[in-house]
Amino acid sequence: MSDENGQKSGKPAKPAAGAELVLPVAALLFTIYYFTTIINVPWTAQVSAFFVGTILIGLIIALVTRVLIKVKRGEATLGMGPLFAPKNYVPKRLALFGLTLAYVFLIQWGGFTITTFFFLLLAMLLLSNGKKKSLILALSFTLSVGGYFLFIVAFNTRFPRGPVETLLHGVF
Amino acid sequence: MEVDWGLFSELFGRTFTFWWVILPAILLGLIVGAIPGFSAANTIIILLPMTLAMEPEIGLIFMVALYASSRMGAGIPAILVNIPGTAGAAATPLDGYPMTKQGRAQQALSISFVSSVSGGLLTTILALLAMPWLSQVAYHLHSVEMIVIMLFGISLIATIAAKDTLKGLIAGFFGLMIGYIGADVVYETPRGTFGFLELYDKVPLIPALVGLFAVSEAFAVIEGESILTKRGLEAMQKAGWKETWEGMKQAVSRWWHIIWTSIIGLIIGVVPGAGAAIASFVAYQQSKTFSKTPELYGTGHLDGLVAPESANNGVTSGTLIPLLVIGVPGGATAAIMAVVLQYHGVTVGPDLFDSQPELAYGAFTAMAVTYAIMIFTILPLARYMSRITVVSTVYMAPIIISFTLVGSFVPRAYVFDMYLALAFGVIGYVARKTGYHVAAILIGVILGPLLENYFLRALRISQGDIMVIFSSTLGNIMWVLLIVSLFVPLILDRRRKQKN
Repeated sequence: MSDENGQKSGKPAKPAAGAELVLPVAALLFTIYYFTTIINVPWTAQVSAFFVGTILIGLIIALVTRVLIKVKRGEATLGMGPLFAPKNYVPKRLALFGLTLAYVFLIQWGGFTITTFFFLLLAMLLLSNGKKKSLILALSFTLSVGGYFLFIVAFNTRFPRGPVETLLHGVF
Repeated sequence: MEVDWGLFSELFGRTFTFWWVILPAILLGLIVGAIPGFSAANTIIILLPMTLAMEPEIGLIFMVALYASSRMGAGIPAILVNIPGTAGAAATPLDGYPMTKQGRAQQALSISFVSSVSGGLLTTILALLAMPWLSQVAYHLHSVEMIVIMLFGISLIATIAAKDTLKGLIAGFFGLMIGYIGADVVYETPRGTFGFLELYDKVPLIPALVGLFAVSEAFAVIEGESILTKRGLEAMQKAGWKETWEGMKQAVSRWWHIIWTSIIGLIIGVVPGAGAAIASFVAYQQSKTFSKTPELYGTGHLDGLVAPESANNGVTSGTLIPLLVIGVPGGATAAIMAVVLQYHGVTVGPDLFDSQPELAYGAFTAMAVTYAIMIFTILPLARYMSRITVVSTVYMAPIIISFTLVGSFVPRAYVFDMYLALAFGVIGYVARKTGYHVAAILIGVILGPLLENYFLRALRISQGDIMVIFSSTLGNIMWVLLIVSLFVPLILDRRRKQKN
């Protein structure tokens, strides 16, 4: 059988409980940071956050204790397996995340239509391992241009505008 | 207080004039409901730019119609390919899929449609008739009671919807802390803003829900290149019209079963966080308990299909009740509806029944009209709509990411909000992968500012005495219920584990 890290072993794999702690640790760090921003302000700005934050810290301590007890008993590990499983998709997921970041960064200059076209094209090519190029090209074009007509021309929605939108503004 | 029949009939007539909004919403709802893991909530998020551009009334009708029809659409892949479209249809394949394997797919689909439409229509009318009384409940609730109700909402989501109570509570309280980001209402002191001016006016809700639901899901679904197996694809292609009529007759003959299981759905739907998944399983379990042939459940029993389908459609009207009566969303879709209405300056809660009754009651008339229209449209539409399940995630994931991220830009026209949505996407992804409930985080973010307002109001009245939160009899009863609701599942869970 294979465990959640994708490794083959004879014994049943222990759950990787370390991943369960990522969100609580982030919540704890955020709560501590939040407390530092309200330490010197009037009580009206503090009281509710201290009430909720204290309960949250208590809950996090309870969860961490539970996980540590499981680890001590040998029922779980501090591994991060579930967060990255299945491992063979990690590079693809990271690449898609990078593409998404670039999309958000570039859309303020490129505008909706052209940036969305390139994002859809590259992301679909990435996920399909470069297969069905013509279909992906047609789909990316249809969706970005269709989105332009539906959201910008028909509904006049506040979508990011760039050179294409400015150029076509006089036409539509 | 009595039912205003004049208002209701006027609203019904008015809602029917919006058939041009309801029909496309039904079509869309069936499509998205049939896509596994892609809920009505996500569709509303994807179509946010469109929904935000509509008048509030039209936007609400669109969202309600989409919500109701997607609940029914979710049963299609559950029956045909053993993949529930949403968690609410998780009990449907227990008897629906064996029917498909026996070559009775079309019969199962008609039973599912008739049960869904009848259950949904009945419970919507019941909810509508009860609203004039339910709306009065809120006037007996003051700041202290509202504090407990909000914490109750979070804890119920944690105990019922989340598999792990502790994790559910952490998710909910983390959401509340995120909801506290921004300048405080009295002195405008920035709190937890990381220095971003864009966060001074609280965390914008649309990027939060886009990130938590849509972006995180898109990054999760890319693990499978397709959502269907080869066998599933074949099963989908074989479904025909042959047994449609037979299935309809069988469903109608089970009218009493449809009534009581849909009422189970309505009651469970009223509880914030309970949702369709729990309702359908409870209804299935009750149906089996009172059945004369319980041993046949799981082998293609008709009652085993009727019960979850009636119940999960009964939930749809139920989840709107706490949203409209006390301003606490009963589920993820209701939470998103609240966000859209807030964007339009509509504050959901008891005052809505006086200030804008066409919206408060209109939500239910829209749902009833949707179900009425679906009676005539669902059978011809559903068969072809179910084909959407063959769309590959290769195409779906990038479309979801790009259109939802741009949707988060629309309300304030800040690129910052797109980055914020991406950050919430990371939080949502981690939450999904490690067993935390994203709906609990979102509901926390929504309730955070409200909770703080009630907290401050209560403390100002009591001149800073924190014990004010235990000063009301009704509030104290709710505190006890809150604690009971938190500990009883833990005790039952421990006992069950000891037995096993």
